[in-house]
Amino acid sequence: MTRAASLLLILLILAASAARAHSLADTIALGQVEINATRLAEFSSGTKVQQIDSVTMARYRWSDLGELLSDETPIFIKSYGSGSLATTSFRGGSANHTAILWNGFNIGSPMNGMIDLSLIPVSIANSVSIQYGGASALWGSGAVGGSIHLNNMPEFGRGLTVDVGASFGSFGELRQQARVEMGQGKWISSIAVYNAIAHNDFDFYNTEQRGAPLQQQQNAEFKQQGLLAEEYYRINGKQRINLRFWYENSDREVPPTMVQETSSAEQQDESYRATAEWQHLSASVKTVVRAAYFDEQLSWYASELDPAALNHSCTAIAEAESSIRLDRGQLINVGINNTYALAFSDGFPDEQHQERAAAFASYQLDSRNSLSKTTLSARQELVAGKLAPLTGSLGSDYKLNGWLTAKANVARVYRIPTFNDLFWKPGGNPDLLPESGYSGEAGLAVDHELAGSTARFIGDVTGYSRTMDNWIIWLPGASYWTPMNIMNVWSRGIEAHAAVAMHVEQAMIKLGVMTNYVLSTNQVAKSANDASVDKQLIYVPAYSGNGKLSLIYKDLIATFGMNYTGYRFTSTDNAEYLEPYWLANASIAYKLPLRGANEISLLAQGFNLFDEQYQVMLGRPMPLVNFQFGISLRFNRPQPTTPKDTDRHAH
Amino acid sequence: MHTRLFLPLPLLAAFVLLPSCKKDKPEPAADQPVVVGATGGVYIANEGNFQFGNSKVSYYNIASGSAVEDLYQPANGVALGDVCQSMSLFNGKGYVVVNNSGKVVVVDPSSFVATATITGFNSPRYFLPVSNSKAYVTDIHANGIAVVNLSTNTITGSIHCPGWTEELVLAYGKAYVTNETRDKVYVIDTSNDQITDSITVSMGGNSIVADANGKLWVMCSSASSKLYRIDPVSMQVEELYTFPNSSDSPWRLNINSGSDTLYYLNKDVYRMPISASALPGSPFVATDGRNLYGIGVEPNSGVVYVADAIDYVQRGTVYRYKADGSLINSFQAGIIPGEFCFQ
Repeated sequence: MTRAASLLLILLILAASAARAHSLADTIALGQVEINATRLAEFSSGTKVQQIDSVTMARYRWSDLGELLSDETPIFIKSYGSGSLATTSFRGGSANHTAILWNGFNIGSPMNGMIDLSLIPVSIANSVSIQYGGASALWGSGAVGGSIHLNNMPEFGRGLTVDVGASFGSFGELRQQARVEMGQGKWISSIAVYNAIAHNDFDFYNTEQRGAPLQQQQNAEFKQQGLLAEEYYRINGKQRINLRFWYENSDREVPPTMVQETSSAEQQDESYRATAEWQHLSASVKTVVRAAYFDEQLSWYASELDPAALNHSCTAIAEAESSIRLDRGQLINVGINNTYALAFSDGFPDEQHQERAAAFASYQLDSRNSLSKTTLSARQELVAGKLAPLTGSLGSDYKLNGWLTAKANVARVYRIPTFNDLFWKPGGNPDLLPESGYSGEAGLAVDHELAGSTARFIGDVTGYSRTMDNWIIWLPGASYWTPMNIMNVWSRGIEAHAAVAMHVEQAMIKLGVMTNYVLSTNQVAKSANDASVDKQLIYVPAYSGNGKLSLIYKDLIATFGMNYTGYRFTSTDNAEYLEPYWLANASIAYKLPLRGANEISLLAQGFNLFDEQYQVMLGRPMPLVNFQFGISLRFNRPQPTTPKDTDRHAH
Repeated sequence: MHTRLFLPLPLLAAFVLLPSCKKDKPEPAADQPVVVGATGGVYIANEGNFQFGNSKVSYYNIASGSAVEDLYQPANGVALGDVCQSMSLFNGKGYVVVNNSGKVVVVDPSSFVATATITGFNSPRYFLPVSNSKAYVTDIHANGIAVVNLSTNTITGSIHCPGWTEELVLAYGKAYVTNETRDKVYVIDTSNDQITDSITVSMGGNSIVADANGKLWVMCSSASSKLYRIDPVSMQVEELYTFPNSSDSPWRLNINSGSDTLYYLNKDVYRMPISASALPGSPFVATDGRNLYGIGVEPNSGVVYVADAIDYVQRGTVYRYKADGSLINSFQAGIIPGEFCFQ
């Protein structure tokens, strides 16, 4: 089936179901929230899970996922510039050591094992959660430093909701979004479209040139269009199905580095992601069967005249899992996953494919006094007929008192070689082993509310350590570079977060501070006289942190934040480095309520307010002070209510 | 109530401050300009990483044994640029070819202060003066060899030559140019900047030297790598040595100042007299777990310099070997030391 045909089919299904939703005067009552990523909600004891709250999500409505993670989490985002490639370093890991899941499916490219976060608008998801630490037993390959979960979680019975909005930013940035959701009875149909263009022709001081002249960024235009269609249907009191389809294409110019005269390079990305899910819920058993098909294409043009370098991959994922509630606070989850990926690239001799099958299980025990929750998980994956490391994890949360909880987790983690590692010609090494290692962490979490709810303290501190063996790097071979399982990396650090929220008169003031310290060092010599032993990996800042002050008064939210990123080494012997930088951002959000549930939202933001001249990555300039202004309108016509609507069945 | 408030506060403060108790400021690089002598030293062109802009020119003083990691930045207050491919000395000036910055920087060889910058190249590789006022610069992407006026330090023209032009030498008033992506050595008449001829060799021509007998030696690296001896007058291939393995990847052909002994890299360092009847069987310097990336031969003494690029992402090491193969000493250069330029 061609892509156009598949798109048409999805649209037809959507149209048909929307029509159906209208015709049904059906008001069968069901629980309000879909289940998503059960394993994250239920089987992550002992690990830290951070969910980005809805106020924060609203602030990033016009941003990409990389920008959100960079400001709100300890994850270091390796950003090559506005709208340019952005990848992660989570707890000192490589970009391949963060699993990124969309509604439970790993969306990392089979070609290079990662995803460009600058291509994911925050508005694509209703919820963003970050699970810290190794969780390969839950999510498989890549969940080493942590995992990022993007979920779409609709609310039933909201009737017709229309959201339209636009934002305008410095350097020719214009973004538009529109979403129509029809939620009636057993149905929800929604379709969202988005469009973005940014010239990114910002001025910067080129500190790599004599006299640091003020220059204007060239060849940096970003264009993106996307569509997200979702369909949710409750077959009866026990069964639900959903379908999702996400299309996106991006066309980006690739700007020159600060040491290049010009660039006319360009990159085009196009992706189709379709998922289907069936859920069966009973009092003690939840069963979910889900499938996904992803098609991604990347075309790279070194210059206008050069032919495209093509990379194209398709992934089909099927997964089934059941969670069963036993007596005495016990919950078990068992599941299987099959992933088939194929890829063509100008770098591969032929079309390459890979079959992966996995079985996973978790067991959770709630103590009788409800003070502790312990989870034991295991996962075995078979990659192209070879066993990946058997992974397991054991984690526990323990309530020490009313406001203090202790957490601890140990896990075995792994990540399998990518298609590029295995098949690139020349150099690809089909004999590569998966990277594997052990991670452990322990922490304390505080959640303390004053009597009368005048103030609340939230905080946590976590120490962790992880060793990663068979770490893959590309090294020069006889006549070409080849990847080898050669490095051994020890990553360890401390993450701390503290926040206080206080009511002052009618207003609320929130103050939050986050600090991170990570050492991630190579433990073995890659060759004779390798000076990188015991040295920090490149592009892993040892220190980073932020402070944030928010004032919430009625429908107005004002936020001021400072982010710090410390030294990042750019040579493995740590002789070369980039200077630290501070970024100050501020935003004002105002929600103007109109009749009913209608509203107008306004958002004004300023970034890099103190004009810091900085580079996240060597030679990639970043903009000085810049602004963004967004406006969005929400129109809602509620579903006609009936008495039954207020019933809620437990699932 | 208030006592309970004070319980979590110090705890939170401790949490947040805990990570900030270790200093992390790295040692900054030396920034004092160094003035070097006019003789008795060698410049090392360190490529640095593509798009990192961290290329450097190191200097080693042969008599004192002291090394300077970077001459350019301290002397000029700005980094050299992106990927320093090679350096040449001519008429009391240094010409530093900065590949991915598309420029040739003209420097004073002692102070290393830039006196001019020749711009407008695409991806320049090697610089060859062909007269007092003219030089040629080869290029990966330009499909041509740039002609540079050394009086005005400008590009005055381009000699059309398809493919990736690489090393070049001057012999009998002609320039002989290797080509990585064509099976030819191109011959340019330097009086009129025209390609007058070409000599068919195999693909992957990467280096060329002239020997004491006036012959040219050309290294070509491909699935079947070959070393050619060419007579530049008749433009005929006189000798052809084929490397036995498809994994052989010979390059960096160099010659000593007596022009009678060849050196090249093929993972290990090999030495071959020009009178030899076959390729050498055993290496002159074994790679020994290193990542050997460049060779230079000191004039007169014949001391062989061997550069180790290690993992390409840290400062490399340069080893000095006596003609008998014994190690004299080593010193640290910049990231990816590649080419040597002796005074």
